[in-house]
Amino acid sequence: MNLIEVRNINKYFYQPTKMQVLNDVDLDIEKGHFVSITGKSGSGKSTLLYLLSTMDTDFEGSICINGEEMQGKRNRWLADFRNHHIGFVFQFHYLLPEFTALRNVMLPALKLARYTPAEIEHRAMDLLQLLGVGTQANKRASLLSGGQQQRVAIARALINEPLIIMGDEPTGNLDSQNAAIVFDLFRELSSERGQTILTVTHDDDFARRSDKVIHLVDGRIAD
Amino acid sequence: MKLITNIKLAATIAFTHMRARLKQTLIATAGVTFGITVFIFMVSFIQGSNDFVQAVAFEQSPHLRLYNEIQTAPANIIDRTYPGNINLVSHVKPKDILLNLKDGPQVVQALQQDPRVAAVSGAVSSQVFYRLGSSSINGTINGIRFEQENALFNLQAKLVEGSFKELATLPNSLVVGIGLARRLNVKTGDRLEVTTDKGNNFSVKVVGIFKTGLTDIDKQQSYANLHTVQRFLEVPVSYITDIKIKLHDMELAPAMLPELQAKYGFHGSDWKQDNSALLEGDALRKMIVYGVAVTILLVAGFGIFNILTMMIYEKMKDIAILKAMGFSDTDIRWIFLVQALIIGITGALMGLVFGFLAAYGISKMPYKSDVMITLDHLPVSFSAVYYVTGFTFGMLTTTLAGYLPSRKAARVDPITILRG
Repeated sequence: MNLIEVRNINKYFYQPTKMQVLNDVDLDIEKGHFVSITGKSGSGKSTLLYLLSTMDTDFEGSICINGEEMQGKRNRWLADFRNHHIGFVFQFHYLLPEFTALRNVMLPALKLARYTPAEIEHRAMDLLQLLGVGTQANKRASLLSGGQQQRVAIARALINEPLIIMGDEPTGNLDSQNAAIVFDLFRELSSERGQTILTVTHDDDFARRSDKVIHLVDGRIAD
Repeated sequence: MKLITNIKLAATIAFTHMRARLKQTLIATAGVTFGITVFIFMVSFIQGSNDFVQAVAFEQSPHLRLYNEIQTAPANIIDRTYPGNINLVSHVKPKDILLNLKDGPQVVQALQQDPRVAAVSGAVSSQVFYRLGSSSINGTINGIRFEQENALFNLQAKLVEGSFKELATLPNSLVVGIGLARRLNVKTGDRLEVTTDKGNNFSVKVVGIFKTGLTDIDKQQSYANLHTVQRFLEVPVSYITDIKIKLHDMELAPAMLPELQAKYGFHGSDWKQDNSALLEGDALRKMIVYGVAVTILLVAGFGIFNILTMMIYEKMKDIAILKAMGFSDTDIRWIFLVQALIIGITGALMGLVFGFLAAYGISKMPYKSDVMITLDHLPVSFSAVYYVTGFTFGMLTTTLAGYLPSRKAARVDPITILRG
């Protein structure tokens, strides 16, 4: 079953001059797969990821996630969709620095409000423990190390049980030891929990060990 | 329900942001507090002074006055005789009329029955010369019934020495204004001469001295018994020149005036006409207060605007990440709007408290005035209206100052920030 179906995507940048970044991209991502998008810088891999993330709405073509068309949807609807179905892990951690690690993990769930705040706290704690940062739960995010922050970010991405986790070079800013831990986490989530994972990476090692690699060259998918 | 939980969540984020920037938040709040404090303080003080000056002036000014006036006749007799013709009369002179009010005492009695009327006084006033030794001073003598006039103007409270009671019992007695007494150098018990415009001289005894605080009155007016003045003027006891009316509701005066004029055929004026310059000055002063307050609040508003704008620039990353997590533009807007509202509400409430304390403080400050004898402390108004206005003003400026940056925050494009 295809979780994501992308048809005939064209994407242009208008600054400084009009330039085509993605050219007739078609792709399918199956549920439970661990997919990597690779390519040189400027090949359009991040652009593709942000289109799939529903945050970038300026494109031609069609993106279907879980059977829902993303083209032409309103901001509020897309925000709600992201809240329900997409978890993000970014290169530079991007935790909210004034909040505790626990609070960071809880925020998307508090927004979703599917569970009571007490239940959410409990679940967030479980996730932090699962990712090995349970002892850091009540520390402010800005006080954690890079590897710890990234694990908190993964916990946050998982809290709403999303259909898909998207990563923008999630190991790009980590030393090799932490990168290995994060990669193993992704691998585990994918194989044991059946979690769909889509990451942009230029780490060949990372890409080679994923289920599927989408390689972009100059805005097209190379075979 | 969803909306409320969303706003609550936005508020908790807002609180965390504010706690992290406690100093800036406090400074912004202090700005609003200062603005509202100054507004409350100034408006209370100015309104208090206005009220006081008005009270002094209005105590001397009846709500309605009926009198006669020498006037040129609106139509001449030839026009009435030959209405069709073109008649020219050069240099029409005003007719000499009796200044008394026809059936005055009866009108006074009739007005006393009117349910809208609180008090009526019929009086005679006339121009006289006060003379002592070789000096003579021009002024006005008021013939009054003390009980009636006191009900209108609270004369008793304005008495500096002597008594009004003797006016009725002692023939040819006079209570003079303090300015007049000073100019003539007379005290209670002294005698002076009064010359009427017909040239009659009377020797009178000063039985009291009053002070209204209005120089014009104090320097040239005196009170005597109604019958005494009628005797001075050689007129019958039915002769009165002024009917002064105090109403239960002074706002009715302008509407009642034409009614009374039509009914009795006298001239008249109401307190708004008599004190138009005072009322105008009032309105202008109030405008100045509001102008100053709005300026201060605008400055405070700019403070909030700046702090929020700065915070939004600092928090670009956070906004982007919140949007990626699924917070909508509206949620983001609430986060910053809530901060502005908290600063606004806290600042405004504190401003009301400090404003009240400042106003209360100066209202206890002793203040002696030569002109306003009834004043012993600075006059301050504690009307609730200004507190409501101040709070509303504060909320309006802070909401506006918060709304603009929060809209900007809502428009932050997460991709440009997340991509680095």
